[in-house]
Amino acid sequence: MRSTVENFLASKPGKLFVRIVQIGLGLLFIYASLDKIWNPGLFAKSISNYRLLPLPLLHISAIMLPWIELICGLALVTNRYQRAAYTIIGGMLIIFILAIASAMSRGLDFNCGCFSVDSEESNMGLMKVVQNVGLLFSCVLIEYRARVVHLKQAATLD
Amino acid sequence: MRNRLVSCRIQLQLHLLSFVMNQMSKLIKDIITLVIVSTILGVSAQVVLPNGIGLRTEITVVGDDSTGVAVASVSINPNGASEAATNISLQKAYSAYENGSAIFFDARSPEEFGSGHIKAAVNLPVHAFLDSLNYLENLDFNKHIITYCDGEDCNASIDLAADLKMMGFAQVNFFFGGWQEWRDAGYPVGSKP
Repeated sequence: MRSTVENFLASKPGKLFVRIVQIGLGLLFIYASLDKIWNPGLFAKSISNYRLLPLPLLHISAIMLPWIELICGLALVTNRYQRAAYTIIGGMLIIFILAIASAMSRGLDFNCGCFSVDSEESNMGLMKVVQNVGLLFSCVLIEYRARVVHLKQAATLD
Repeated sequence: MRNRLVSCRIQLQLHLLSFVMNQMSKLIKDIITLVIVSTILGVSAQVVLPNGIGLRTEITVVGDDSTGVAVASVSINPNGASEAATNISLQKAYSAYENGSAIFFDARSPEEFGSGHIKAAVNLPVHAFLDSLNYLENLDFNKHIITYCDGEDCNASIDLAADLKMMGFAQVNFFFGGWQEWRDAGYPVGSKP
């Protein structure tokens, strides 16, 4: 099973598949960043709702996070600095998952601020955790393919 | 022969270790580059964007020595008021209720609101503040607003009052005695969600 997956990932269709996943992830993060970049004050309010960050860090986080999302998204789409980009995105997703789980466990119910600061976005819930886990899986898949290809190349050199 | 094989193996492992270290070092450098570029762009954008905010989160202490609570003055609206909301006594809150001059916002959860609240109050849970922006934007920004929560043990009324002030509402008070003080005084209550 494992070698079938590895063979697929090392093949041309596998390369194309992972590239599409990478571009999709990049576009999603670009989209997610735009509304927050335009409304940093509202995004700061979204972050403050989680009650996890110390108050003095609210503004600087609301300024930095959406731009990191945008730059990492662009890096994934253009395939430059892509490893750093999906590592950062993976790290952020782990933090988002823990933050949402923590908010849910404390009974907080509010717009998660994941993709926009719009009040139309759905509130906290298990679906948000599942969404983020799915995105995290995409990052793992991209890294896994990079390792498989690297190992295959090393084996060919031997 | 055996020694040579061991030596080769060690060399190979050292080579591999050096390769992994190089990869890690490149990854860390790239991560730092992306974060620095994002930070520079983000900070610069605050000068250009119409809704730009400052780097420092202004912290306002609301209430007096005994009720003082630190609230982040998050800039929901850059044109919003920067001064803090103030406390209002039970008598003044009741008189505002009697002559219908104020809107009461209950900052507690819908469950708590449903089990009993100040009559004619509107439920606006502080954590769901952003969900209520469309509703709030249609209100008169000069209308007197009084926020409250359970009583002196909770700060939700203060947080909500600060949010409303930041949004641009001119007259906002928080009623720190809250639901408990209102109910104990025997003033009109409602219990429908």
